[in-house]
Amino acid sequence: MLNADRHEYPNHDALYDDYVERGWTDGLPVVPPSPEKVAHFLASAGLKADEVLGAVPTREVVVTAEHAAINAVMAGCRAEYMPVVVAAVRAHLHEKANCHSTTGTLSGAAQIVVVNGAVRRELDIQCEGACFGPGWRANATIGRALRLVIRNVCRAIPGFLDRASFSSPLRYSFCFGENEEASDWRPLHVERGFAPDESAVTVHSTMTFVPCVDFTSRSPEKVCESWLGMLRRYGVFTDRFLGEGQNLLMVVGPEHQRYFLEAGWSKDDIREYLWPRFQNPGPGERPVMLGSPEGMLLVAAGGPGMAETWFFFPHLAWAITEGLAHP
Amino acid sequence: MTANGERGLVGLDPTSGPLERQDSRSLAERPASLDGAVIGLVANGLGQGEDFLAALYDELNSLCAPNGAVRVLKQSVSVAPEPADWARLTSEVSVAITGFGG
Repeated sequence: MLNADRHEYPNHDALYDDYVERGWTDGLPVVPPSPEKVAHFLASAGLKADEVLGAVPTREVVVTAEHAAINAVMAGCRAEYMPVVVAAVRAHLHEKANCHSTTGTLSGAAQIVVVNGAVRRELDIQCEGACFGPGWRANATIGRALRLVIRNVCRAIPGFLDRASFSSPLRYSFCFGENEEASDWRPLHVERGFAPDESAVTVHSTMTFVPCVDFTSRSPEKVCESWLGMLRRYGVFTDRFLGEGQNLLMVVGPEHQRYFLEAGWSKDDIREYLWPRFQNPGPGERPVMLGSPEGMLLVAAGGPGMAETWFFFPHLAWAITEGLAHP
Repeated sequence: MTANGERGLVGLDPTSGPLERQDSRSLAERPASLDGAVIGLVANGLGQGEDFLAALYDELNSLCAPNGAVRVLKQSVSVAPEPADWARLTSEVSVAITGFGG
């Protein structure tokens, strides 16, 4: 039983024009969310329409599975993506994911969806070359589905509750998978308490992102020193609400990762090297205020060629990992 | 089917409802004067917000005759004021001023 209001249109063009006029899209075309298709999406995830996925108390908004399904259809998802979309919505609506702040902020913070586990390969979620960019249906539409939920259901509409000065193209969609097969590094979801044979989604709100490009370093220590220069230039800040749960997402490309692998460094070895060097910033540098070494979320992804690691500095939120509930 | 033979379609509303409030709440009336009013100054903790609000109060004080200020500094830049702060504001002040950004 679906609860949403129904609108009739003579054709797809009329629906799209009306959805744009009503402010129900991100500006891009949408797949018509017909009752039949939305019901199919819910059934494929084993969800009832009125199942509550989370809430935004400051906006008096409650997000249901039906909301997620309608917006996932509109985003162009396939029905089998629904468990990932639902996990992303649940993660983003965690209290410490701070939906109200991260989607209303002047800074235009964006939400990154990192996928782990077998579901990446089952759904063809790109983890390797060009994984941050266009060309991958699952990446593009899962990230977009979360953003449409944020816009349509959580009311983060530019000029209304989205007060971004510039906003960000990352807000159209940003989803990729960890390249777990590239090494024996423990995948992100396993580091965060899930079993290796489980699949999970991590949502991280980012305000500033920057690549650390370094073609000259040839050892783990030197790559880490290169990273430290960049990390201390930007810094990570926290406050009482966030406490010690802040995260820094560090996406390590294969050209940097191989120096760690060749030297036998695990993710924990990298943390052990970086952690004491986060303290006591020098002149002109900023502190990297994470509560613990585990606040560094190291993820392997990307393709060969560029010797780079991407840093996604947090907005005022924790990164939250949510397991996939299969029907 | 439509009149021209096209197959019509149904789309569902993807939102959580109208943006306009559906309940009986409304904005308080704008006071005719700040003379005698207790001014709430709610700072978000970013940048020089507290200094700005203090300067704003000084400016108001030069233009009219407010009856003092209640200063609230949010416990976090990223969340709404805590219940105790709301209680102070609703019980002690006539008008509250806040802002966003740093």
